[in-house]
Amino acid sequence: MEPRQWEAATPAVGIALITLAVGALPLVTRDSYYLDVATTILMNLTLTMSFRLQVSTGQINMAHISFMGIGAYTSALLVTRVGLSFWATLWIGALVAALLAVPIGSVALRVSGPYYFLITFAFSEVVRLFFNNFFEGLFGGPSGLVGIPKPGRLFGLIFDGKLALYWLMAVIGVVVVVALVRLDYSRFGLTADAIRQADLVVETLGVNVFRFKLTTFVLGSFVAGLAGVFFVHYRQVLHSSDFGLEPMVLLVVFTVIGGTGSVWGPVVGTILMTIASELLRELHHYEILVFGAVLILTMLFAPEGLVALPAAARRVLRKLRARATEPAGVGLAP
Amino acid sequence: MSIELLVQALLNGFGLAMVYVLVALGLTLIFSILEIINFAHGEFYMLGGYVTYYAYALFGLNYFATLALAILTVGIAGVVAERLIFHDLRGKALNAFIVSLGLLWVMQAGAQLAFGVLDKPVPSAFSGVVRLVGLVISVERLVVSLSAIVLIVALYLFLRLSRPGRAMRAVAQDPDAAALQGVNIDAVSALGFGVGCALAGGAGGLLAPVFAVSPAMGALPVVKAFIIIIVGGMGSLPGAVLGGLLLGGVEGLGALFMGSAAVSILGFAMVIVVLLVRPRGLVGGA
Amino acid sequence: MLLELRSVSRRFGGLLAVADLSMTIVPDSIHGLIGPNGAGKSTVFNLITGVIPLTAGQILFKRERISGLRPSEICRRGVARTFQATALFREYTVLQNVLIGAHLLAAPGLAPALFWSRAYRERERRARERAHLLLESLGLGAITSQVAGQLPHRDQKALALAMALATGAELVILDEPLAGLTDQEKAETTAVLRRLREQGTTVLLVEHDMRAVMGVCDTVTVLDHGVRIAEGTPRQIQTNPAVIEAYLGAEEPGA
Repeated sequence: MEPRQWEAATPAVGIALITLAVGALPLVTRDSYYLDVATTILMNLTLTMSFRLQVSTGQINMAHISFMGIGAYTSALLVTRVGLSFWATLWIGALVAALLAVPIGSVALRVSGPYYFLITFAFSEVVRLFFNNFFEGLFGGPSGLVGIPKPGRLFGLIFDGKLALYWLMAVIGVVVVVALVRLDYSRFGLTADAIRQADLVVETLGVNVFRFKLTTFVLGSFVAGLAGVFFVHYRQVLHSSDFGLEPMVLLVVFTVIGGTGSVWGPVVGTILMTIASELLRELHHYEILVFGAVLILTMLFAPEGLVALPAAARRVLRKLRARATEPAGVGLAP
Repeated sequence: MSIELLVQALLNGFGLAMVYVLVALGLTLIFSILEIINFAHGEFYMLGGYVTYYAYALFGLNYFATLALAILTVGIAGVVAERLIFHDLRGKALNAFIVSLGLLWVMQAGAQLAFGVLDKPVPSAFSGVVRLVGLVISVERLVVSLSAIVLIVALYLFLRLSRPGRAMRAVAQDPDAAALQGVNIDAVSALGFGVGCALAGGAGGLLAPVFAVSPAMGALPVVKAFIIIIVGGMGSLPGAVLGGLLLGGVEGLGALFMGSAAVSILGFAMVIVVLLVRPRGLVGGA
Repeated sequence: MLLELRSVSRRFGGLLAVADLSMTIVPDSIHGLIGPNGAGKSTVFNLITGVIPLTAGQILFKRERISGLRPSEICRRGVARTFQATALFREYTVLQNVLIGAHLLAAPGLAPALFWSRAYRERERRARERAHLLLESLGLGAITSQVAGQLPHRDQKALALAMALATGAELVILDEPLAGLTDQEKAETTAVLRRLREQGTTVLLVEHDMRAVMGVCDTVTVLDHGVRIAEGTPRQIQTNPAVIEAYLGAEEPGA
């Protein structure tokens, strides 16, 4: 396996490409359908990138999407009941998610591996069932909440149409991507992956691994909360199934298919899979069948994800070239 | 709140617990031998349900013969799945999780396309109730629970006394040591996966007359199975039985105080408590 | 006195792996810990570095109590270690491995890493410099970009030592630093250890190679079944009847 590079050049190129693509899209199309897909991709991207931040330390946090829900409900209630502006609740929602992440993360991180996976899964179900069945007056019960307003004015700008909302999500998305990429290319990312490889060694070298993992948990939850606030004011309805097992599983799939070993994995995976699911949408049952088959094949033949394909291809080429230049008579015939 | 009411509630909770224990045992067997969590486990349960529908409801085969057929067919399907998909993924939990997810989708969508989305009712093989000391138990549930217990005992004896069973336990405990002693890990993995799925298929066959058969019928049992094995201890057979009884009891009693939808939160709360206080589960050892 | 163990015990269920052990390590020395297999030596290391908790007793480093602290905190105070089964970050390059060790020197946080401040970049540059110097001094200067998992055994051992040294520790605890090395490589390694002692780093090591241990250590403590049975200079240990008895009972002394 090739060692990861922590050089300053690569992120600049990748970030430039993403910013360009995001900025250029409205120049290519104003069709509200495409803008909607693009906005969805950006929303998913913030979720998968922040999920991957935690995966890089070896944690598979099945409650990640619950923090999106916490941000969503916080903002929805503060805007509809208390009359606060979206521009304030954007931060408050994310902060509430981050604050709740501290006790939840501290508890979950007492175990590791499959137990961590299971305890976070249990947490996510508890959160979902809580919002679905308790305090119906507040959270809407099984019918959920409706009629949540779009973001209000900011500096005189109106955020009513698909285009404006796309730009809003674009800004949030690009900022999140840039922040997480920089983090990954820094000592923070170096430490995160080291923890995944051998956490005891990292601990005995002076890093408080629990605190580090908790930091990724809280930071990831903050970003998930941000995404949740945008989500609820974009869709204008909220239901507990929006942050249940199904969307969480999709998050995991998008991230893993892209490749968890690289910070760019979620980018590749989210874009490709969101587009794929849109293309296949009409064929409902076949869509799921195809998705399932793709998952199985990818995991069997490209377990490091799509982002690792170029490296894998290079390895195969190198082996072929080495075999081709072998002097005759050496080794067995192919 | 009379004692009678409480005991009846407990009994209702226990009623199908043993069948969920079967599903849990299948899951934990696969986990202990291959070190992976098979998310598609519920789909094998569903397969057992459909075999029962076609053989018993449509074809008219004897109930218990159908059960045997379901167990056998799903077991073979499990072996095929292991050979084709899972055998290279020993110990690679995240990748195996994704693959099993893919398998889940393939099997579910496949079932929807092949059998249609609608529920297919399966007639009950047994009717009537038994009255004991003021408590009511349906004959059907009694037979189902007893059959499940028979299967659990059969599994226990198989693991204890038969050679393949002991080989499976050896691999579950220490695969490297088992390999050194000449155990064929590949064969054991395939067999273990097959037996695990067979248990799920049997459970699906048992509950088909109770709940009707549909492509999505595997979702609930597999979630209960997860709760059971976490509470009882992954890789532990007595733990699964204990976990199942505990879950059944808690849900039965919980139904007295909160709506049945909210009751499921109790199971997850139990999971969190167990994972915090005793992550290995109540009986978990290895 | 740099490190002091006071009546340290560790029980695993019914087994008393370490029994009422008292031991002191003086600064600028090389201290050896030996004993037949199963004597509890690795357990002592795990107790000192906080990997497992004590059942009884105390461990003090520079007169401050470290027993009960997290391993990372103990490392911050100045105690670093290597592991018996050489524990490296196999997917990282040699340089990256040492950079992790230099963690304490670079002292990161979330904010500097996020914003790549000038202070952050400066500290990283210095950490890199130090890492390169360290690797040169251990003979790994030419292979800094090699992937750790593919290194030959001798280089892996040297890398593990480099990682521990990168923390800037005053006490370095080495778990079988000579295991699997050729005689030539062992001589090179013991020379490195002597150099460390001269530069003010104290070494505590566990070893099975008696000749090497007696040749390089200033003091030797002998453990048998978790109990200290002798302590002194190499010469004193070699002629101690209790030590000879313990070894003849279990295994042949010597490499």
